[in-house]
Amino acid sequence: MQVYKALFKVIQKNRTLLMIYLVVFMVLALLLSGSYNPPQDTDFTKVKVNIAFINDDGDSQLVAGLKTYLAENANLVDIPDETQKLQDALFFRQVEYIVRVPDGFTQAMLNGEAVQLEKTTVPDSTSNIYMDLLINKYLNTVNAYTTNMPGLSQDDLTKYLAKDLAQQTEVTMISNGTHSVYAEKSGYYFNYLSYSLFAILILGVCSVMLVFNDTDLKRRNLCAPIRSANMNFQMILGNLSFAILTWLVLISASFIMYGSFMFTTTGLLLLLNSFVFTLAALSISYLIGNLVKSRGAMSAVANVFALGSSFIGGVFVPQALLGDNVLTIASFTPTYWYVKANNEIAAATSFNATNLQSIFTSMVLVLAFGVAVLGVTLVLIKQRRVEA
Amino acid sequence: MVINVKNLVKRYGDLIALDHFNLAVQEGEILGLLGPNGSGKTTAINCILSLLKYDKGTIEIYDQPMSPEAYDIKRQIGVVMQNVAVFNELTVYENIDYFCGLYVSDKQTRKKLVAEAIDFVGLNDFTKFYPKKLSGGLLRRLNIACGIAHKPRLIILDEPTVAVDPQSRNNILEGILKLNRQGATIIYTSHYMEEVEQICSRIAIMDKGKIIAMGTNEDLKKMIKSGEHINLELLNPEHLDLSAIKALPHIISAELTDHQLVVKSSRGKNNLIMILDHLKDQNIGIGKIYSEPPTLNDVFLEITGKELRD
Repeated sequence: MQVYKALFKVIQKNRTLLMIYLVVFMVLALLLSGSYNPPQDTDFTKVKVNIAFINDDGDSQLVAGLKTYLAENANLVDIPDETQKLQDALFFRQVEYIVRVPDGFTQAMLNGEAVQLEKTTVPDSTSNIYMDLLINKYLNTVNAYTTNMPGLSQDDLTKYLAKDLAQQTEVTMISNGTHSVYAEKSGYYFNYLSYSLFAILILGVCSVMLVFNDTDLKRRNLCAPIRSANMNFQMILGNLSFAILTWLVLISASFIMYGSFMFTTTGLLLLLNSFVFTLAALSISYLIGNLVKSRGAMSAVANVFALGSSFIGGVFVPQALLGDNVLTIASFTPTYWYVKANNEIAAATSFNATNLQSIFTSMVLVLAFGVAVLGVTLVLIKQRRVEA
Repeated sequence: MVINVKNLVKRYGDLIALDHFNLAVQEGEILGLLGPNGSGKTTAINCILSLLKYDKGTIEIYDQPMSPEAYDIKRQIGVVMQNVAVFNELTVYENIDYFCGLYVSDKQTRKKLVAEAIDFVGLNDFTKFYPKKLSGGLLRRLNIACGIAHKPRLIILDEPTVAVDPQSRNNILEGILKLNRQGATIIYTSHYMEEVEQICSRIAIMDKGKIIAMGTNEDLKKMIKSGEHINLELLNPEHLDLSAIKALPHIISAELTDHQLVVKSSRGKNNLIMILDHLKDQNIGIGKIYSEPPTLNDVFLEITGKELRD
């Protein structure tokens, strides 16, 4: 394992440069994912509207029932029945809705006649609709009783109304799993990780391959009785070890930030996806390492590949916001499929055959990229073994 | 036979780098491949080592066909390339250990061999140095140590003394002789004729991709008409009749520069005595006299019509 050991010594000699890259990319990843705020959960909270209730009809059980019903669903605010004060209350948003019960309302309702309550509202207020719904619900229920049970006493009517309107439909949120607050944040971190990982692997692998592909050293190695397959195996093993070390360092930050969440199905799938991507990124880095001839070219290629594929693959801009043409081009990069799988993993509240199939298809595609590129690289190396 | 190359042809487009090149190397000899830059020495070596594809011909090493996959043959060869081929990221010790490890897998044996190689090239005080900290001469010695650490039967040294100071050059040449005494067969390419004359038991002179002459140092010099170069310091050159000197038998040319007379003679006996007698007859006093035998440059000049270092 002379080549493997020498390769690691070369990496060790370049460790300062690689550590700088690693730290810079990690800090960037942490800062960006830390500053990312996923949309807040929209849990239902009942909001009561401030309203004023003015009764011109006199005391009746029906009006009292309406008032009680509205008081249960809105905040009744006492405002003197003066035009100026009522207008001020609306203007200063002391109330958003003023309902006035007209004279003769009770009798008209009991007779089954069409009655209209007067309302004064803040223009374009959403609460208007809510209050209209509440009032209409009350009036429609009264209407239903007076129509179908003529001669029903006001006492009985209000009892029925109170009972009916007290009915609530219970809504239970049913889910097969729980969606952690870390899911989207970690998904974002792992998306960004692809950029860091790609850049570091290209730079690291190229640094090593530039040394081993130096014409004189390469010729000297070719004079030695070491089989091409053995040489490639040691090279790949060395670079794989470096890639896994880099991956471990980068994912260690996710354990620090998201703790035990990383041991959930979501966390483990994100880790698996990032590992598969590491293999593909290593394969591409190995190809680039065998093609570049100078350190200048190495930096340029690292930036173009890592940044370019991240931009079109949806690392910095969500895939949903990218155009179809961009996504079509991006689909020829492993970054696109990696990000796609990450987004699906992070968005899933539970895992079933359908979403898992989609996630694993993306992973297999990423792996296929890696295998194909590695095959091309090995052919390239074999062709270059003896110069024409 | 250690190496047997027959009718090797290597073309780079229209340029014929090796033109039906033939070479036979015997066990235990130091064969010098001498030729000007661009004569095809390194191309020949690269083809022999299977680093280059060639258009025609056969190469056998230890009676086996040489190929990129001939690992058993490669195991017996030590290579010292023209350009220093070491890892700048590894120390002197690590470099020698790395290259030795490509041939010898046993750790203990390798440790011993690496120590011997370090001792052999005299890098004991520099084992922890990185190559960039070494002088040109020390770097060349490291290059040699990396090539010979595994104790190969055949060592190919391609211009190992290029850009090396005279002291380091002598160390390297002495080392090569020592390796040969220890039993290694050596192929040594150079365009420095003095080095080749100094260490090689047989010399092949190359030009334009061909071997134009081959033999021992003496054999090669016998192949040409040129004999010794006689240099005389004349005390009263004004009395000299240069045409009379040129008319003497076996004299090829005579030139007088200030007080210095240089006479080139063809092969023959008593040329010096004849010239001295002639000068005495003309009452010309002589200060210093020295005579040089013909060099390999003379051989090359006579065969090709150009200087070896053109």
